[in-house]
Amino acid sequence: MKPEHIRNFSIVAHIDHGKSTLADQLLLKTGAITERQFREQILDDLDVERERGITVKARAVAIHYTPPEPGSPTYELNLIDTPGHVDFHYEVSRSLAACEGALLIIDAFQGVQAQTVANAYAAIESNLEIIPVVNKIDLPVTRVDEVLEEVETILGLDASGALKVSAKKGTGVEDVLDAIIQRIPAPNGDPKAPLKALVFDSKYDPYRGVITYLRIAEGTIRKGEKIKFLKAGTTHEAIELGQFRPGMVECDQLGPGQVGYIVTGIKELGNVHVGDTVTHAAAPTSSPFAGYKDPKPMVFCGMFPIDATDFEKLREELEKMSLNDASFSFAPETSDALGFGFRCGFLGMLHMEIIQQRLEDEADVGLIQTAPNVTYEIAKRDGEVFLIDNPLDVPDVGRIEEFREPIARVTFILPASNIGVIMQLCEDRRGVYKTTEYLGPERAQLIYELPLAEIIYDLHDKLKSATRGYGTMDYEVIGFRAADLVKMDILVKGARVDALSTIVHRDMAERRGRQLVKKLKQEIPKHQFEVALQAAIGARVIARETISAYRKNVTAKCYGGDITRKRKLLQKQKEGKKRMKQFGQVEIPQKAFLSVLEAGNED
Amino acid sequence: MVTPLSTPRAAYVHVPFCAHRCGYCDFTLVAGKDHLAGRYLAALEQELRTLGQPREVETLFVGGGTPTQLAADELERLLELMREWLILTSGGEFSVEANPAGLTEEKVEALHRYGVNRVSLGVQSFSAPLLEVLERDHREADIERAIERLRGGIENISLDLIFAVPGQTLENWRETLQRAIDFGPDHISTYGLTFEKGTAFWARRERGELLSADDALERSMYELAMDLLPEHGLRQYELSNFARAGRECRHNEVYWAGLGYYGFGPGAASYVEGVRRTNHRSVTTWLKRMEAGDSAVGESEELSIEGRAREAIWLGLRRTRGIGRKRFRESFGVDLEVLAGETIRRQVDAGLIDTEGDRIRLTREGRLMADTVAVEFL
Repeated sequence: MKPEHIRNFSIVAHIDHGKSTLADQLLLKTGAITERQFREQILDDLDVERERGITVKARAVAIHYTPPEPGSPTYELNLIDTPGHVDFHYEVSRSLAACEGALLIIDAFQGVQAQTVANAYAAIESNLEIIPVVNKIDLPVTRVDEVLEEVETILGLDASGALKVSAKKGTGVEDVLDAIIQRIPAPNGDPKAPLKALVFDSKYDPYRGVITYLRIAEGTIRKGEKIKFLKAGTTHEAIELGQFRPGMVECDQLGPGQVGYIVTGIKELGNVHVGDTVTHAAAPTSSPFAGYKDPKPMVFCGMFPIDATDFEKLREELEKMSLNDASFSFAPETSDALGFGFRCGFLGMLHMEIIQQRLEDEADVGLIQTAPNVTYEIAKRDGEVFLIDNPLDVPDVGRIEEFREPIARVTFILPASNIGVIMQLCEDRRGVYKTTEYLGPERAQLIYELPLAEIIYDLHDKLKSATRGYGTMDYEVIGFRAADLVKMDILVKGARVDALSTIVHRDMAERRGRQLVKKLKQEIPKHQFEVALQAAIGARVIARETISAYRKNVTAKCYGGDITRKRKLLQKQKEGKKRMKQFGQVEIPQKAFLSVLEAGNED
Repeated sequence: MVTPLSTPRAAYVHVPFCAHRCGYCDFTLVAGKDHLAGRYLAALEQELRTLGQPREVETLFVGGGTPTQLAADELERLLELMREWLILTSGGEFSVEANPAGLTEEKVEALHRYGVNRVSLGVQSFSAPLLEVLERDHREADIERAIERLRGGIENISLDLIFAVPGQTLENWRETLQRAIDFGPDHISTYGLTFEKGTAFWARRERGELLSADDALERSMYELAMDLLPEHGLRQYELSNFARAGRECRHNEVYWAGLGYYGFGPGAASYVEGVRRTNHRSVTTWLKRMEAGDSAVGESEELSIEGRAREAIWLGLRRTRGIGRKRFRESFGVDLEVLAGETIRRQVDAGLIDTEGDRIRLTREGRLMADTVAVEFL
């Protein structure tokens, strides 16, 4: 395929603005899939993603398209899919690096949202040709003109060439195909130059091992050649070569501008580095790509098997997860309360929920998950500086010189009438105000610097409820900052439950402590004795609640017709008990360990 | 010896009619559809016919709904049908549930004539405000009149009472119990009000319009019944049932002993040869199925030998006499110790179970926490 007949592009959008539907339409219109195969979000091959309507793992599909004009050549359009959510920024930028252009989709009613901005900026930074696409023009109420104005004022893009489509109905999809060919530059590159290909993604296949996604910049790669990963320094054979159309289709070679995959026999995802350069082992390129940093997990939580004998099984399951997701990490940890388990690291809250959901769906292991926390940096008096990802690792107060927490720059896009509420929300969460910008008479962009811990605590939920769903946010961690932080412990019937310990700001400790024990009181069932719940900093108790004793638990009526139903009810109670963890005499249900997070929804 | 697999010696017939559905009720019934009575009786005959031949039983129980909601001639037709298919042995127990309102002389006379010797009267409360909360259609005067009429020929009278009604005080419950005792019944059942999913009460409680009784108050009420009734000769023989010696409901004891029984009518359950079948709970579905000659069974389960034995433990513990180890082994073919020895010891340590000679039974505290105990034996 000649480079002038190749176009490499991404689709970027705020969540639910219709990215996947448009991708499906492009496949359908070009015959890559049949009407029969056309199903919602065909690119999202994980159930979790379909449920959430978001694409987590980047995919690359080669579409062959011949425009209807007589004499038109056949083009190869490589659609490189990207995830849309804040947690996966990193994957967005590395996907964009493999493209020359991007379709920026904006909902015809909702307009520019926080992730539209983040994604558009990422595309601008990657020097891509951006084609704004206003989607959902079939909606009964649209604001197309205002949306186009937002594109110009907020994003600084020329909206005169914006396309208007309905991905759902298929309206305007031909215009999109034309624009891709007419406006996105063809890749350039010398097919005879030394091979230089960018690794922009990888995935694990249980039969073939690691499948590496490549974008060829220069030279040509052929099946059976000896190739070299420059950064990793490893040499392999290109056992299999191919493209996604959208199923894997083998080919003999890939030339400049083309996008495809190689199978090299590598078994572990960790051995393939996104951003690495693939070249010929015999005649390597002299100008490799700069490469990427590996993404650092910022959010951590403990995962423990309810049944201690499931520990190894859980390890296997976590290993499976990390095979497919290099940004997920885990390491063994021990808790007095929960026994042996794992400290797991995630890019963000959504990433955590996805992994957790997948474990629930795929693994037959009863899990207790502790409330998530961020990474902290601690400078000790003796000069040592280190990161901790577990509240239990906080050293004695006397030895801490400085306790530092990650700070994020948060961009909100919201109805102007909600600015006050959101500012209050941020102030309450130790935010530092940066700027406000009006995007039109009714919408504004608000920027704050907030501790990441406050963001994962409840900010997103609060934003959604305060703006009735119209506010969106995006964040980026900008560094660590010192703060007056303390470890807060929870005592249940006098004994500290280490898995419930959290790190909080001293000024908020009392309020959080009160909320937390109140929430725990709702989560922990009554026992045959009183159960005292206390929040404490060191030896000082700052909040207390008591769960009164169960006084009566007996079903009055139990005759012939009731027995089966009654037994099923009891069975359910028993299942519920199984999901609880025994601490001394007290049984604590799984859910209670997440109370730390939900406690904030009460005020 | 009678074991769970022996041919049933007990039969239940469900009459699904009521004038009105009370807010707490989740039983199988239709309210205000008395015109279906004819179809119901015809369908019931269909179902009885599936027996193939008349069966001899030692206990019969007609429950509802409100069996006495049937008009006198319909009631007679029902009793006639039962006489045809379910032959009561001499000395057998024949119970019918009745509602104080609308229990006419004529109906009582019919019950008597067909050999009904036990009536369970749905008193629930004597207090007008509480009867109103419960949405019952009778008042105190109806209760007095009904008992008076029953005395004419029914030898064994039982009164049903409900406690932990929203707004009820411990004092009111004491008066309720005393008032019931004063009528000199042979049997009293006391039921703590439960909020069942799907009922109006449940929805109202969800919306915060109705408050369930405080846990501690409910406990005190139950304890009061356990103290007061035996003082007047009504010994507790099951978690919710009190009776004079020899007046225990023999039919209900079949359920708690894990023995077999037949069941007819919508929602009724049978337990024959280790298989428990529950008829469809929708009255109209049951009717249509019977009319079409289909099976009435909505759900059926065959318990394993162990499942049967485990069920018999928590059911058996509902009786104050508890479970005899020897008898248990003979009936269920498995030793109680092997099946649940460890659990029993834990419950003994927790003060919820007592062992005495061959028997295990719930302690007084155990009776208050019977479900907590039951879960352990599943």
